[in-house]
This record gives sequence, C-alpha cells and structure tokens, in this order.
Amino acid sequence: MISEGKRLLAAVTSLAALSIALSGCGSSGASKSSSESESSKSDEKVQITYLHRLPDKPNMTPVNDIVARWNKSHPNIQVKATKFNGKSAEMIKKLETDVKAGNAPDLAQVGYAELPEVYTKSMLEDVSAEASKYKDNFSPGAYKLMGIDGKMFGLPQDTGPLVYFYNKAEFDKLGISVPTSKDELIETAKKAAAQGKYIMSYQPDEAGNMMPGLAGATKPWYTVKNDAWVVDTQTDGSKQVADVYQQLLDAKAAPTNPRWDPSFDASLKNGQLIGTVGSAWEAPLIVDTMGDTGKGEWRVAQLGDWFGNSGKSSPDGGSGVAVLKGSKHPEQAMEFLNWFNTQVKDLTSQGLVLAATTEEAKTPESWSSFFGDQDLMKEFATANKNMGDFTYMPGFSSVAAAMTETAAKAATGQAKVADIFSQAQTTSVATLKDYGLAVAK
Amino acid sequence: MSATRRSSAARPGRAGRSDAVKRAERTGWAFMAPFGILFIVVFIIPIIYAIYSSFFQDVASGGGAYGGGTMVNKFVGLANFRYVVTSAAFWSGIGRVLIYTLIQVPIMIIAALALAMVLDSYMVKHVTPFRLGYFLPYAIPGVVASIIWVFLYNPQISPIVKGLSSIGITVDFFAGKVVLASMANITTWTFTGYNMLIFLAALQAIPHDLYEAARIDGATGLQIALHIKLPNVRGAALLAMLLSIIGTIQLFNEPQVMQTADPGISNSFTPMMMAMNTSRGTLTPKGNGPASAIAIVMALIAGVLAFLYAWIERKVNE
Repeated sequence: MISEGKRLLAAVTSLAALSIALSGCGSSGASKSSSESESSKSDEKVQITYLHRLPDKPNMTPVNDIVARWNKSHPNIQVKATKFNGKSAEMIKKLETDVKAGNAPDLAQVGYAELPEVYTKSMLEDVSAEASKYKDNFSPGAYKLMGIDGKMFGLPQDTGPLVYFYNKAEFDKLGISVPTSKDELIETAKKAAAQGKYIMSYQPDEAGNMMPGLAGATKPWYTVKNDAWVVDTQTDGSKQVADVYQQLLDAKAAPTNPRWDPSFDASLKNGQLIGTVGSAWEAPLIVDTMGDTGKGEWRVAQLGDWFGNSGKSSPDGGSGVAVLKGSKHPEQAMEFLNWFNTQVKDLTSQGLVLAATTEEAKTPESWSSFFGDQDLMKEFATANKNMGDFTYMPGFSSVAAAMTETAAKAATGQAKVADIFSQAQTTSVATLKDYGLAVAK
Repeated sequence: MSATRRSSAARPGRAGRSDAVKRAERTGWAFMAPFGILFIVVFIIPIIYAIYSSFFQDVASGGGAYGGGTMVNKFVGLANFRYVVTSAAFWSGIGRVLIYTLIQVPIMIIAALALAMVLDSYMVKHVTPFRLGYFLPYAIPGVVASIIWVFLYNPQISPIVKGLSSIGITVDFFAGKVVLASMANITTWTFTGYNMLIFLAALQAIPHDLYEAARIDGATGLQIALHIKLPNVRGAALLAMLLSIIGTIQLFNEPQVMQTADPGISNSFTPMMMAMNTSRGTLTPKGNGPASAIAIVMALIAGVLAFLYAWIERKVNE
C-alpha cells in the first residue's frame, strides 16, 4: 500500500510539474511587461529567431554566414536564422499556428502583399517606436509598406520592380529590338513566333502576382473609404493587360509554361524563350537556371509603354521582415533587423533589390558576366523609381489563387484573359466579407 | 494474462484474489498505455478538436478597414457545414474523386489480383524478386512518386512524350480530361504492388489439400484458379477495396504536386486539397472552422461509401 501511495504521489507531482510547464507556455503574453523591463539591462543575453524564405542558392552569400557575423560582434543578441522551404502561403499558415501557440519566431519574412492579411489575422507586434529609429535607412515607399493603420510592424527588405529580360544576341539575329509600344510588342512577338522564338511569356501560376503588378500601375485596385474597402480590379490598366496577353495567346506568340514548372526553365535553356517580363529578383534565378547557356547574351531593359501607362509598374513580390506577436525582445530584434536589412552587398547576392538606402548596391560579378557587363543595379533602380503604389487587401492570397486558376483556363482557351480580373473582383469582395471587413457599395 | 490464470488458480476463493486480479488488470492497462496514450493524443483529441473548431470562424473584430489587427474566433453554429454542403466546389471535388475511385480502384484491384495469381501459380519459379519488384513503388513516398511522374508527363522534358511524338502520337498528360487519368496512373503504379501482397498472402493461406483434391478430380489449372483460389480471396478483396476506396476519396498528393506543372488544377480540385487550402487562407471562406467542416463532411461521406460497399458485398455473397 505504501509503495502504491508513493506511486500516486509521484504521478500527482509529475502532473503538477507538467501543468506548471504548460501554464508557462500559455502565459507568455502576460509576462511580456516584465521581460521587457529585463531586456533593458544591457548585460542580458537574448535569443532572437528569424524565419526567412531567401533563396540561399550556391552562388549567393548564405544567410547563415551573414547572421554569424552579427552573432560574433553582438554576444548579447544571438540570432538563429532558419530557412523555410515551401510556399509563402504555407509559411503564413505555420506562423499563424505558431503565434496562437505562443512559440512563433521573433522575426519572419512577410511579403508586402501578405502584410495586410497577417495584420488582420492579428499576428504582428507593433514596433512603431523602434522602426522610426531606423526609418532613414530605407526608401520611404518601401518603409511605408511595412505599416498599416499608422503602426509599423518591421522593416522592408527588398522591392520587386518589374523589368524585361531578353537575349540581345537572339534579338539581333531576328532583326528585332525591345518594343516600345503595345502594337509594336504584339507585332514583334508575332514576328519572332514565326521563327519559333518567343519574346513574351504567359505565366499562369504567376498571374496573381504579376498581373496586379502590371495592371495596378495605372490605377490601384483596393482603396479604403470611410473604413470600407472599395474594390475595382477591372480598371483600364487591367483591361490593357488583358488585351495584350489575349492577343499574344490568340496569335500563339507566347508560351504558356508555368513559371515554376521545369518546362519554363527548359524553354529558356533550349533558346525558345528569348524575352520575358520578370521581377528584378528573378535575375539570379535566370542566371542559375541557364548556367553557361546564353552567357553574356542577355540584357535587362525597362518595360516599354505596353500597357497604356508609359512603362510604369507596381511591385511584383518584394518583402519585408516583421516582428511577430509574442516576441519577447522586439527591441533587440529590430536592432538586428536594421543591421541585417542594410547588409547591402550580401543581400544583393541573394538577388534582392534592396529597400536599404545606406549604400549603393553593386551588381554582383556572376550577374554582370551573364548580362553582358550591364549595370543591372542601375536598371533596377530606374525601374524602382518608375514604380507606382499598390495597396493589397487582407486575404489577397485567396484572390491570387483564384486569378491563377482562371489564368490557367485562359492559357488553354477555356476562358479569356479578362476573366482573370472579373474573377479577382468577385473573390476580393467575397474574401473581405469572409474576414468580417466592410465593403463599400 | 498468465498471471491472472495462475493467481486465480493458486488462491481460489480467498480475499487476496481480487487484489491480484486488480494488479493484473493494471498490468494489462500499463501494456496498453503506449498505444492508448498515443491513440488519444494523435487521434481522438484532434478529432474532437476538429469537430469543436468546425463550429467557429475567425472574424476581424477591431473595426476599421483592417479589422484593427484583431481577430476573434466566433461561434457560428452550423454555418460552416451549411457552406460545405451547399458549395459547388466541394461537390465537384467529391464528384472528381468518385469518378476517380470508380475507374481507378477496379483497374488496380484486378491488376493486383492478376499479378498475385500469377505469382502464386507454378508458372513463376523465383517469386521473391517479383514480389519485391512489384512492391517497390509502394516504398517510395507518394509525394516523391508524384514529382517523378510530373517529370515524366512534362512535354518539354519527358522521354515518354518525346518518344510518342517521334512515332506520331501527341499526348498531353495535363489536358483537362486527361489529367485525372494521369493521376490515377500514379496511384495505380504506387499501390498495385501493395494490394498484390494482400492477395498473395490470402492465396498462400489456402490449404494446398484443396488443390490436390481438385487435381485428383481432374480440374485444370484454370479451373483451380477460378473455382478455388478466387472464392477464397474474397475477404482479402473486400479489405483491399475498402482501403482503396478510403484512400482515393482522400486523393491529395498527386493533384497537389501536379498543380505546379498545371495551375489549372484548382485549389479545390479534391476535397482534401480544398480543406488544406481553406485552412491556409488560399480559398474563401478561410480558416480552421470551414476547413474542419470540409474534413468532417468528407470523412462522413467516405465512411458511408465504405459501409455501403461492405454491405453490398455481403448481400451479394449471401
């Protein structure tokens, strides 16, 4: 009986210990104020975790190497960076669960298109005070994208200006040049297609990212009026984009390989695709794909006046790093983040067109040799200046997904390119309502 | 268990007996514990939680255009279930997996049965390499298998597509009506060997006296196969069919992987994909509530189908 009593006691004790541990997890929010005052003591060692989706390809400076440099010079703020292998929607879901469970990383990469969504999902920490200290290190436009409702949630990392990548040698062979107007674009595309070459690509899986970028430059899709959303995705800009791609598809003058399918890379490598609109961060990806094929023959140009907006574009991609709710050391996290996001040379090697203005970015050697010694960074900076504002709505990921699906139908002729934008309209309104947000009219 | 027997035999009718039985019971439960605890933690609790969360929906609560950055988990009653059963996307997803099941499962089961019969016959001398060979695809994780097949389907890369086109046949494995068959092919490739093993085990459990008796009566090999082997693997067939039906209703890996190559595969292509994309927020309505509701309705449908099949099978056999 005694031994049984002991066993019972042991069981009760271990249960109690377990519940203490569990309550420790749960009360992380409540104990925040005390930990904040602790963190002001300079001799305390803090641990910061950072989840990113940077490419980390072989020819780049690894994120972990950059972080290691920080850790060496900052023994009291130790950072652990982890790469998330997967799509951004998967990462957002993971973070959402982590925030609820109270074990989210301190810092996480968040796309500008996703920031409203994660903010509405109550996943972000207000770090306005810290952010304002570092404001001058970043371009004002990008800085603004990391804030909503007058609050700041982190610092911008890169911008995604759209540019035109093309193989100049092939263009010369065909006797064509980068088109400057819409009619010229379609005519040139047809001319090239007759020779089995393509100067434009229609990427159904990127429709949700690139199409708003191209169309949004003319007129924003989402505006807020009296705390309600005004949604208009079928703007003149959208109609122009739809018209261009529809004509290209009808004339079979643009291949429809999805951007992230091996068939797209194959069409680049076998020399079929000799020109494509892409975001600046695609430059090193193209270099990586091509290897030595076409080395020195490719160039980057600004978009022509193809979509009735004198070559303007909105961002396609581009992200910042946000401080997540429940972070125990937001101050130190922001201190690291400011340092990390201004490591211009290293981050440029990751293929980023940086939001940092602290130093001028130089085109990495491996890129310039591929792009015929062109000063890519200068081109990207020009594209950056040419970029219009674009506000995304919360829940845009479901809109992008719906657009992608319709875009795929348009590729096979089951739908029109214009349907992508009408689909965006209905999905946007339904999504906002589902989030419990007001929609105007 | 032996402890129970011994103690009750050694001390019959004494007061200590119930103590011993109790102790034995405790021992039994202790042996059960590793399974029991894991079963509760990874199975029962998640199911209860899914049912619970299916009555809720995340809604912005802070006011303003962005909901003030706060969300509450609002009780919505049966609204999520109402959404699922009235969702056209959900039912066309169910329709897809049903068509898939109706075509793919019989083909796979018949192929598996045929392979098992051949291996069980005297025609094959060395069974082991064949058995292993057919089973090997099952050892490859479903996602990896799907990725490999996507490469084999890809018109720019695939040796199959290129080979066929060189003899004048053009195939597009991603074409609207073909894509389901392309997925079915991956599933069949993966699971035929597995089902074959089920049948082979059943075949080898048949007492060989039956064959001898049949042969003495002058039965041919074919007659033995049709009249002795086939009726005796009915139980195995039921098991294989049930597992396959439940498996194909949950079709996920193949379409999810093939979506990269074919963005036309929608986020709600199969109910499982729909559930995942709903929870991720890449479908509207979003969140764990509607996603759980989808999963629950789908589980009910799968359960009903499996029950129906088992019931019909029993009726037919009677």
